[in-house]
Amino acid sequence: MTNQTQRAARSGMSIDIDKCTGCGACMVACAVENNIPPAPETANDRKGITWIRVYKVDNHLAYPERRTAFVPVLCQQCGHDTPCAHVCPQQAVDVDPATGIVGQMPERCLGCRYCMVACPYHARYFNWWDPKWPAGMERTLNPDVAPRMRGVVEKCNFCHGRWHAAQQKAAAAGKREIDAADYVPACVEACPTGALRFGDLNDSTTEVAQEAQRPESFRLLEKLGTEPKIHYRSRRDWVREIASAPRPEGKDWLRG
Amino acid sequence: MIGGKIAFASGMLVALACGWLAFPRILYQTRPQPVDFSHKVHADKAGAKCEDCHSFRDDGTYAGIPTLDKCSGCHAAAMGTTAAEKSFIDQYVTPNREPQWLSYARQPENVYFSHVSHVKLGRLTCEQCHGGEGSTGGLRPYQLDPISGYSRDIWGRPVNRTGLRTEGGMKMDDCVNCHRRQGLEYSCLGCHK
Amino acid sequence: MTTTRRNLFKFAGGGAAGALLTPAPWRLITDTALWSENWPGIPRPARGEIRARFTHCTLCPAGCAVRARCVNGQPVSLAGVKPHPISNGALCPWGIAGHHLPYHPERLRKGPVQEATAAVARAISQRGAGECVAVLDLRPGRTASLTYRRAMASIENGIYLAPRQPAYAVDLAAARTVVSFGAPLFDGWGTPGNVFAARDHFRLIQVEPVETRTGALSDVWLPIRPGTEAAIASALAGDMTIAEAARATGVEEEAIGAVKEAADRGSTVVVASDPGSPLMSLNAKLGALKHTVVARRESPVPDAWKKAAPVTEIAAAADGAIRVLLIDESLPGGYVPWREIEPKLAANAVVAVFTSTSQGYARRAQYVLPAPVYPEVAEDVGPAIDTVAAVFRVAAPLVAPLVPVVNPAGFVAQIAGLPPGDPLRERADAIHQTGRGTLLSYADGKSTPVKEVAADDFWKTLNQGGCWMDDAGKKSAPSGFGWPVTWPTRHDDLPLAVVAAEFNRGGLASPLMSKLERESNLRMAANHVVLSPADAHASGIENGSPCLLETACGRMNAAATIDPGVPAGVVEVAGGPRMAELCGANPRARVVRA
Repeated sequence: MTNQTQRAARSGMSIDIDKCTGCGACMVACAVENNIPPAPETANDRKGITWIRVYKVDNHLAYPERRTAFVPVLCQQCGHDTPCAHVCPQQAVDVDPATGIVGQMPERCLGCRYCMVACPYHARYFNWWDPKWPAGMERTLNPDVAPRMRGVVEKCNFCHGRWHAAQQKAAAAGKREIDAADYVPACVEACPTGALRFGDLNDSTTEVAQEAQRPESFRLLEKLGTEPKIHYRSRRDWVREIASAPRPEGKDWLRG
Repeated sequence: MIGGKIAFASGMLVALACGWLAFPRILYQTRPQPVDFSHKVHADKAGAKCEDCHSFRDDGTYAGIPTLDKCSGCHAAAMGTTAAEKSFIDQYVTPNREPQWLSYARQPENVYFSHVSHVKLGRLTCEQCHGGEGSTGGLRPYQLDPISGYSRDIWGRPVNRTGLRTEGGMKMDDCVNCHRRQGLEYSCLGCHK
Repeated sequence: MTTTRRNLFKFAGGGAAGALLTPAPWRLITDTALWSENWPGIPRPARGEIRARFTHCTLCPAGCAVRARCVNGQPVSLAGVKPHPISNGALCPWGIAGHHLPYHPERLRKGPVQEATAAVARAISQRGAGECVAVLDLRPGRTASLTYRRAMASIENGIYLAPRQPAYAVDLAAARTVVSFGAPLFDGWGTPGNVFAARDHFRLIQVEPVETRTGALSDVWLPIRPGTEAAIASALAGDMTIAEAARATGVEEEAIGAVKEAADRGSTVVVASDPGSPLMSLNAKLGALKHTVVARRESPVPDAWKKAAPVTEIAAAADGAIRVLLIDESLPGGYVPWREIEPKLAANAVVAVFTSTSQGYARRAQYVLPAPVYPEVAEDVGPAIDTVAAVFRVAAPLVAPLVPVVNPAGFVAQIAGLPPGDPLRERADAIHQTGRGTLLSYADGKSTPVKEVAADDFWKTLNQGGCWMDDAGKKSAPSGFGWPVTWPTRHDDLPLAVVAAEFNRGGLASPLMSKLERESNLRMAANHVVLSPADAHASGIENGSPCLLETACGRMNAAATIDPGVPAGVVEVAGGPRMAELCGANPRARVVRA
């Protein structure tokens, strides 16, 4: 719960593509934290639920000029005319003015998937099936996140369960503001190389805010004007070109 | 012609009577609590305050309804002479079985409520939301709405929610109204998970 | 008023209108919506007290420190321990979901324990002259390994077998140049946290035929022809001219020259995808010994254990000599091809395997006994290939075994008649007695010299989250490198070289790995192969079509993807025990339409 006297924060991330090895620890940690079930037999990469997904991109040259990079893509927390919030007929998407986090309410969602069409980053996922864990594995579910039923859309919300826990800890100490060290999303905590960083973009002392200002930082699809809060960095020119490259011909785009 | 109007009117009256009088009565099923527990006895005789059993942990999380080990701490052996206590010890303490308490305030899974924020920062008292539960002589019966699965206390006793006191209901509307009265900002994810 | 149909309808209409003016329909709508939210079958997470517990991950020899978030004692998520001098708070994807393993649907839940015990005892007592009892330990270097060795030493003709272990450790922190011959430095080699902590201080030259994850983030990738690593090594050693090496490998002379210059500057280390590869002897030529490559250090053991059986290589065992073979496959990782084991078995050999999966040796053994999985039992983790100091790390259990399991070390100790005891405690006491080193406790991050810690506290801290690290000491040179390795022979009917782009450790992995393999294309599934467009065209294979990967030892059904990033003459696969079994010593294959 926030008080109106607090300065508004803008929670964002800075992702260093030159450090990402494509290991996938962030994807697994996200699924563990947010009670995302393992895929049913018929799931594939079109129907799976991966709130954060690491894509393998390359410079489209053949061997031996081929170069590869890994780009983690999650909800970009669009700050301006947030497309999904804009189109939802149920008002199931809420942009928190205090943190800038775009919150998805699966309980209000009626599953029309208009938001999935609107999202330019393919960051929203639909529950095609009811969640099912192998027998006994439901004991490992996280009590800070509610499991969703089938027929609703879900997406990354910057591990809001962890924000709640940080807020409770601060409240127990009588404080209204959370300690930034207590609120780290699961993907950021899991990344073994430190490629993912999280923080308040409005606070110029944070690493994230400083990295976002660097010349090699860019955002995905900036020309759409969605003002995403996820900043990417790479010193490799071909990676930067990929990030703003127009859609090429052929069906094999985004192999990963 | 008039016969038609009477038919219509009588249909309407029957529906109104059913909806306003019969429906609230048949909607709920009463379920007994597993143990005949008296808050008053514990408050008076044991000198217990709410937070002695319904306590906060170090990280700010709320223990809620105490688990068996809290009760066994004192009731390993009978402390009084009531049949209720004896049956509690026989059925729960001795076989180390957790009583399945029916929580009047149980919220849906997707609701996040932080007791410590409301008690420590919001300075609310227990009675402001939970009413006089802590001073009752016995637990009132749990009235279950079998369709939704929640207690009558969530919706509130009056079926059309008129004249409800702050402790009378625990729907989202009640939370939002109080937040508005206090002038607090809120976002969906602030209370949902 | 007469009862006509019309009046009946008017009555009903009045009833409907009246009903709308009552709370009933609105309340029913609300309640039905709430009922739909409590959909049967959607589990509710258990609530309770949340505490942190510590252990070490045993899914690979790195043994990264783990902080488990536990609700009422049940782990619900795992994370690394920051800051830890070895693992630096990092966990890999398998380690992050390791707490799911006890509930894995394909986990072995029962086995013929009584029959196996009886059969093994019978076979041991009825052995012929010269017939051995053997334990094959697929994760050597643990305290349990010492239990096996002690057990085999106390049985007549008992031998202890293990996959070859490197006798050296790589000190990445001291390296300024790393020449890696296909070693997956950023994808499973050593301890991830340790590698990434040292990353900014060394220049990585990755020598491999295809660009793996490590190659993609290396400073220089040398795209050599498959099988020509030796040419680069010879050029770096000065045994071959750069021009000759360029001709052999297909890499430009300037590139090889630049690598040689960097390697000659000092503080270089050479690593290889097979830790026992003869390429490692290049380290001696480049002055890496005692500097970036040092002798592997083990933590102290009780004196009573010093009479343990030596480690025997499977090749050294006599053919047909093994009457009883007990295989400890309880921890994933090590692998010895069955092809090498089978000839050593006697005709009426009794083979029992302790495992948690029906893949692997369960397909070969007569008795398949369910072993505990991580994090069910206490275990210890030996040093990894990049752990320089001697360490002792106890992997404390976080949950009780979910199914009736057999503890492999306990079984073997009982068969051999070893005195009962707690080997981990005995070893901890022996370490404590030396008075050397420091005890790091994870809960508070404090480091205390062992001399200042009582023996009981030492044991307690090790079990509740801590590790012992020896004093630095002088670096010594490793005893020797490599041993003869058969080079791939060319087969004209196997035109493609098999190159592993990733490694699948084998054993159980959390069902959440589907996120990486099926719900995205991030990691290769075990039956996934990638071909160059030229080779695919030659075999008539289309993108995504099913195919057969045929090697000298067998064949595998696979799904093929076409990628111009793969050179002609190479098929990219996911490496691991299954692939090693398939390829044998000769990693060549052909791919045909299925």
